[in-house]
Amino acid sequence: MTTNGQAMNGDRIILQLQGVQKSFGRLDVLRGVDLDIPRGSVTCVIGPSGSGKSTLLRCINLLERPTGGRVLFEGQDITAIRKEDELNAVRRRMGMVFQQFNLFPHKSVLENVCLAQEKVLGRDRSEARPRAEALLARVGLANKLNEFPERLSGGQQQRVAIARALAMDPHLMLFDEVTSALDPELVKEVLDVMKELAAEGMTMVVVTHEMNFAREVADEVVFMDGGVVVEQGPPREVLDNPQNERTKRFLGLVLEH
Amino acid sequence: MEFIINYYFDFDIISDEFGFVVSGLWMTIKLWLVASLLSLIWGLVLAVLRQLPGKALAPIRGLTIAYIDGFRGLPALLVLLLVSGFLAAGQSDGVLPKWLGLPTWFGEPTWFWYGVIGLTLTYGAYLAEVYRAGIEAIPHGQMEAARSLGMSHGKAMRYIIVPQAVRKVIPPLLNDLIALMKDTSLVFAIGGSELLDAGFSIESDYFNGSGLMLGAIFYLVLTIPLARLVDVLLKREQRRTQRGGGDADAGEAEEPPNPNIGLAGA
Repeated sequence: MTTNGQAMNGDRIILQLQGVQKSFGRLDVLRGVDLDIPRGSVTCVIGPSGSGKSTLLRCINLLERPTGGRVLFEGQDITAIRKEDELNAVRRRMGMVFQQFNLFPHKSVLENVCLAQEKVLGRDRSEARPRAEALLARVGLANKLNEFPERLSGGQQQRVAIARALAMDPHLMLFDEVTSALDPELVKEVLDVMKELAAEGMTMVVVTHEMNFAREVADEVVFMDGGVVVEQGPPREVLDNPQNERTKRFLGLVLEH
Repeated sequence: MEFIINYYFDFDIISDEFGFVVSGLWMTIKLWLVASLLSLIWGLVLAVLRQLPGKALAPIRGLTIAYIDGFRGLPALLVLLLVSGFLAAGQSDGVLPKWLGLPTWFGEPTWFWYGVIGLTLTYGAYLAEVYRAGIEAIPHGQMEAARSLGMSHGKAMRYIIVPQAVRKVIPPLLNDLIALMKDTSLVFAIGGSELLDAGFSIESDYFNGSGLMLGAIFYLVLTIPLARLVDVLLKREQRRTQRGGGDADAGEAEEPPNPNIGLAGA
């Protein structure tokens, strides 16, 4: 599908990682990751814990600064950005959903989805509110607008978090193990929202342990281990017919139930 | 026994001097309110300066830490004497203008403002540490979520971190304000005419402690309700956290997703 080293094309390839490295002290978490993300694609990143998946995601929106390599987003080398304002402008165009939801507990559901629209995008309440209501209705929470996050289940909180990220009209969505903290019966409602989002053409990078989701939704599956991409390709290749020994071992462990 | 009662509870003296002690009480309350308000603001400014991100701002962080460590480590009385002496000497040497060296802002006497400045410098440092504990107790994910939505560090602090942090530390803030209430009496040493001074001057005039005892009762009338309030707030917070945030009351019937509204499109 995608080939590394291909000429950068900001129109088709929305995100390109070039030899991205990240070290924490002497610990090398990412050891040179290359990846092309085409616009409108869904990329699922799988791998054992400690393989660097989450760090990779956090390097994409620069919550972590890569210690080597480049991240090109919509044609711009965002790892070269030094000014805080420019960094904020880039993050505005990427949504991120976290494992622990990270909703703002002192704000109602509606305010969670409106706040950044107003304070970052400068939208009026009259513009932000209908957008928030529409998104919350879309994720099935139209009746929870005035609830506070602590009154919601994990699955509901995570759907609010997705709506909150979407309210910024991001060009790319990053999902960091968003179902890992959920009780099993709540996983489906979150994955269903993500599936619909994918079907509507949102570009998504999804770090996940949900192999069935990856198989069903992903255009590309990336298997990471030891801070590098070990194997990547369409799900039917990587998940059903893995070539690399490490991929086979990992899938053998997670798929045998 | 009779001597004790006469010394502490001479009702003739108390009724003669009641108005005088109350005027001292009124000054104490004013001094406490103004110094509290300014300390709450100054402490928050210090706490936020201390959390500024990045290498470039390290000098500001360092200065803030030095300030907080310094003023927390000094007796409030010594700060009061240093400040009042400096301002008075600066005014008499012509280095400081009169409005600053011998302030009488809003018609309050100079000792009042010396007291406000000295106590704010000291209690700002105390309260900064309380705020800091609150800020550091906010999970890191809150800052990350705010930043991932494109908020600057400043906006994230203002809208997300500080409002949550302040809520968490209201009881310890109130505790420090109770201590500040008692420390307003330190202006006695720079000529303040407040509650302690009123009691003490009665003691000097009559060789009798009833005025001081009346002052003591007034201090308790002010501080004990505040202490009870702190207890109530702490209990409420405890109940709230014991109930647990997480998955309480969840999972009632929800409406199904509405397929007619697009997720991605605006």
